[in-house]
Amino acid sequence: MSEAITLVLGLALLAATAWTPPRHTRLLGSLLFGLVVAVLLRFVLGPLGGVLGGVLAVGVAHRLLPALVLRRVLFLVPALVLLVFSTTLLMYRAPGNPFANERATSAQVETALRAQYGVPKNANQFFRIYMRRLLVEGTLGPSIKVQGRRVEELIGPAFPVSMALGLLALTLSVGFGLSLGVLAGLKRNSAADYSSMAVALVGISLPSFVIGAAEMIVFSLWLGWLPVAGWGSYRHLVMPAIALALPSSAVIARLARSGTIEIMQQDFVRTARAKGLPESWVIGRHALRGAIIPVVSYLGPAAAAIMTGSFVVEVLFAIPGMGQWFVKGAINRDYSVVLGTAIVYFGLVILFNLLVDLAYAWLDPRLRQERA
Amino acid sequence: MSQNAAPKGPFELALQRLLRNRVAVAGAVVLVLIALCCVLLPSVLHLDPNRTQPALRNLAPSARYWFGTDSLGRDLFARVMVGGQTSLLVGLASTAVSVLVGVSYGAVSGFYGGKVDEAMMRLVDFLYGLPYMFLVILIMLLFSETARGEMLPVFLALGLVQWLTMARIVRGQVLTLRRQEFVLAAELLGASDARILLRHVLPNVVGVIVVYATLMVPSVIILESFLSFLGLGVALSWGQLVSDGVAVVNPVRAYWWLLLWPSAFLGATLLSLNFIGDGLRDALDPKART
Amino acid sequence: MRRTLISALLVVVAALLVVGLTLSKATGKRADLRVMNGTEPQTLDPDLATGDPEHRILEDVFEGLARLDSASLEPVPGVAESWDISADGKTYVFHLRPTARWSDGRPVTAHDFTYAWRRLQDPTLGGEYAYIMHMVRWAEARNTYGAQAEALRGRVVKALDELVAQHPSVVPGAALREFAKKLNLQATLKGTPNPALRSFLLRPDGDIETDELRGLRPELLAEAARRQTAHDAADEHFGVDEGVFAKDDHTLVVELNAATPYFLELTAFYPFYPVPRWAVERASRNWFMPGNFVGNGAFTLESWRVGDRIVLERNPQYWGKNEVKLKRVDLLPIENMTTALNLYLTGDVDWIPHGYYPRELGPDLKRRADFYGNPALIAYYYRINTTRKPFGDKRVRKALNLAIDREQITRDVLLMGEQPAYTVVPPGLRGYTSGKSEISLNVAEARKLLAEAGFPEGRGFPKFGILYNTMEMHKKLAEVVADQLRRNLNIDAVAYNQEWQSYQQSTTNMDYDVSRYGWVGDYEDPNTFLDVWLTNGGNNRTGWGSLVYDRLIESANNVELFLDSPEFLLQHTHEPQKLRELMQGVRAAREPAARLEAMSKLRLALLAEAETILVADDFPIIPLYFYVISGLVKPYVRGFHTEIIGSDGSKRPNLRDLHPLRDLSVEGAP
Repeated sequence: MSEAITLVLGLALLAATAWTPPRHTRLLGSLLFGLVVAVLLRFVLGPLGGVLGGVLAVGVAHRLLPALVLRRVLFLVPALVLLVFSTTLLMYRAPGNPFANERATSAQVETALRAQYGVPKNANQFFRIYMRRLLVEGTLGPSIKVQGRRVEELIGPAFPVSMALGLLALTLSVGFGLSLGVLAGLKRNSAADYSSMAVALVGISLPSFVIGAAEMIVFSLWLGWLPVAGWGSYRHLVMPAIALALPSSAVIARLARSGTIEIMQQDFVRTARAKGLPESWVIGRHALRGAIIPVVSYLGPAAAAIMTGSFVVEVLFAIPGMGQWFVKGAINRDYSVVLGTAIVYFGLVILFNLLVDLAYAWLDPRLRQERA
Repeated sequence: MSQNAAPKGPFELALQRLLRNRVAVAGAVVLVLIALCCVLLPSVLHLDPNRTQPALRNLAPSARYWFGTDSLGRDLFARVMVGGQTSLLVGLASTAVSVLVGVSYGAVSGFYGGKVDEAMMRLVDFLYGLPYMFLVILIMLLFSETARGEMLPVFLALGLVQWLTMARIVRGQVLTLRRQEFVLAAELLGASDARILLRHVLPNVVGVIVVYATLMVPSVIILESFLSFLGLGVALSWGQLVSDGVAVVNPVRAYWWLLLWPSAFLGATLLSLNFIGDGLRDALDPKART
Repeated sequence: MRRTLISALLVVVAALLVVGLTLSKATGKRADLRVMNGTEPQTLDPDLATGDPEHRILEDVFEGLARLDSASLEPVPGVAESWDISADGKTYVFHLRPTARWSDGRPVTAHDFTYAWRRLQDPTLGGEYAYIMHMVRWAEARNTYGAQAEALRGRVVKALDELVAQHPSVVPGAALREFAKKLNLQATLKGTPNPALRSFLLRPDGDIETDELRGLRPELLAEAARRQTAHDAADEHFGVDEGVFAKDDHTLVVELNAATPYFLELTAFYPFYPVPRWAVERASRNWFMPGNFVGNGAFTLESWRVGDRIVLERNPQYWGKNEVKLKRVDLLPIENMTTALNLYLTGDVDWIPHGYYPRELGPDLKRRADFYGNPALIAYYYRINTTRKPFGDKRVRKALNLAIDREQITRDVLLMGEQPAYTVVPPGLRGYTSGKSEISLNVAEARKLLAEAGFPEGRGFPKFGILYNTMEMHKKLAEVVADQLRRNLNIDAVAYNQEWQSYQQSTTNMDYDVSRYGWVGDYEDPNTFLDVWLTNGGNNRTGWGSLVYDRLIESANNVELFLDSPEFLLQHTHEPQKLRELMQGVRAAREPAARLEAMSKLRLALLAEAETILVADDFPIIPLYFYVISGLVKPYVRGFHTEIIGSDGSKRPNLRDLHPLRDLSVEGAP
């Protein structure tokens, strides 16, 4: 019960950060920014480097960072704490525990293991242990199911793998989706429109594991062009990236199409055309802008969708990325792994939304005011 | 200032435009057909998706077993139909949950705007960041002993994840509408907040809601198939059948029908829904009028 | 606008290039052998490991006193170049090879074994396999007596006091059962010599005079004191000068509680491996990771990229390095079976052991020349929750057992040549004949039993669940069994799944009606399948327990105990005459070797009696089938034995799919 109250209070507090006055936002935001930098640097440079970097970051942030960024940081830190707390509660409420095993663990062994991994039977105690580890000891804690490794040692090598795959997939989906969408939008209701939309729609009509499996059969087993699965070279990236990119590219194509259609009907485009400006200029200057703005606003959800898809695609293609830890962590009740991946995922989502906000503001001056 | 003052209501106009969109109409027809088949045929033809006849395993499609049989000799046609019920139900019910929660949350947030909006959206941002895979597993587990293969947990789990998107979209729309003259006028005339929201604002958002709800159904169905692929699925669904089918199409031996039929139905349904969604968007968006 | 787009794309591409470059640290040259290894190993610490993927690696990077010869799977000299066994079969003296070295060049000494074995029995380490060594003198005392003494002194006595206070004159049977179960008395008092406690444990179910119960208090405290003393003595002596100890650097002495025929085989099993103390003390958390790792096997751990591969390389320090043909072996953790098979088909993997391919394709793969399959030492059961109604009734449990068509399951569903199971112990164990079983397909009898239990025609039988852990094969089987029960008994069973950790919890908490259960034999002896079902055993989880059963297992593992006081068991067994004859055989034997042989026969007869209780009297489980181990291996992999030829010329299948990499080679790979 007290846990529920704490949770509600935490949520209320998080919501209340919206009322922080601008001046305090700057100060608090900079301080929290310093804290984040300190904790992050600690993994790389050790305690001293972390603290120095943190102090430096406070100063820099206070002077230079735009309010938009600081507001996000002010949200990020309490949100992360709340994330850890609520996820801990969820994990402890879930049936099963990490020590349940085929060769039934005796009470004595379980006690020994719980002490060894710092996983007491009580969620509040675990939360305290975890936060102390994170802030004081600078670690994400030991994994229970991959013994001998800390969570940062699992995520460390997996993170760039997923980033490479995700970025490639995002690039592919934007490139592919934009070109199809603009083409369809310019030649509305033509054969070109329908065929390019049909191509795009294949991407959302089948789950990515079907697309991936089909790719495997065609390109690896029949044609022998690409390796079936695994990780190690660029050739390993191609098929999973395509399987991952197709669904988002379909959405992007449709957004780009309606964006293009909308802008091509605007008076200034008609004027430009009437003035006899070359079609390529019209397309390059206006159609693309019309297409790109709705696409930028979709980039946040697209990134999230790609991250979600990567759980499945990474399993199918046996890629040593982050996605596997999300699923395995939850299934194994490997508490520290779940929290570690949750924190990284959360941080990425926030970071990405921030980037999208910045990009949006930069691309569309009207919105800059509206959002501020 | 009533929006229904025009001789032809905006919805009638929209419907007209929708009916002129051949692709969307075709999508609707296909969808209705599939849904009817899935709902009616199992009871009309007394199909039993779980009857095992191990001696009749892995039969290719024939006059007796239209879609063939699986490795336990179960009738694939029956399984695709019943699986369709699950997938459609999961799609619709989860979308209903997310529309219900998402629209009310988003509308309130957008309507009051300012700090309230910011606070409410912070909560949404926060929930977005929760590891939803774990959330889904957890919700399904909490019910696993009592539900035993029933689907309520899946609806809840998927719905609770999806409402966030709906809330954001609705909030954005309401935020813009809030500053339109007719809303301000209603406010000046002393209408209550609830009345303005229900009478003036929400009717103008219905289009967007319908469009996104249509597009949400396929994404829920896909999510469910992901769960099945990862071994977390609960009931017999298209996602389940497709992920089983993926395992048996192989150069060693291709039981192609086990992948083809479920994929075809899944694909056709998702395509139709997307076509309808696009058609609706075009029809309901006055700016796109040709 | 266009510039924006292009610059954005350039940023992304540049980021990709950088990330990609950091990754393309090529995985190096092609390995001689690439093995599919199922899931990621949890650990490579031999004292903590439990699973099959771990086993496959540990047997290559470590070596025990003996090792299993890959052609005969019999123990042959490993670290020990020879051994002497005392006449009573209780003392082993191992003479260690002076040339045996750790991968860092240090010699392997007897102290490395005493350290490892002491470590395994350290209760704070949490080694799940500690129990497998409990036949070594003092091992169990060091491992469990401390906690038991504490429980007896504390929780048990406290609960007893409460029970006595609550029931001034007579303690009802139900309360007593609850007390015994909650405090796990059978396990806590395991093997007690105290006559009062023994007879308390053996007493039939029912009420008890409070005074009698009160009288147990001093006995419990005495037992606690006894265990504490034994634990302290074990702490002092085990691994030092008794139980297991180093006579000198190259002589290891092991003392057993009772003659154990499979002990030598066990010394080749990883819980019995030596452990390098200096490496553990240098990096206790991750001493088994590349860089820190020190092993004494034919291979050494080169690298371990989680989710990608583990690379083993030939150990240049290994005493028998000239016999090792493979230079480099990759082990891949692939969770998706389709992907695993595809990798094999494209030639990226040379060996898929243990059925890591899609089940549905089994019958088609079976036709291939590179397929192998043979009976396995793995059994598949359904546990019945005997604490729930109506499964507390023996007749109901027997009816379920008789109503399942196992032939149909193996013939039409499993399809890989699995054997229907009518007993608990799989066939093929040398010298062992399973206990008499009453299980068969007999629907008429099953219906009759169900009617007798109060459910004529299945009427009134509650709908119940068959729980399995999420996996396609378990699901199919559960659905078929549910279907058979529906048709044969007209009772309604629903198959439902939980993923692994929840399934473990539900079964441990007895939160199920019927649940799926598989057991993999750890060594080739029936005991590994039978000691599971001891009362309150960690994996029993049926709520069923039988004193006779417990006594039979206990006696089998220490036959002298039975020879000293056979009366109780002779009264309660099916074939006392046979046991008497075997006893006389032991007593008549003059030669120590003959006596040992006779004791071994008696031992197996006791185990068979125990098995009979499960499959002819009480039916707490439903045996379904015995596995077939199958896999795919490329023809160029040599030294791969699926049929084992014993040193006496007898032939048997490779029951555990054991193929030590030490003896494999590759000839003419593409």
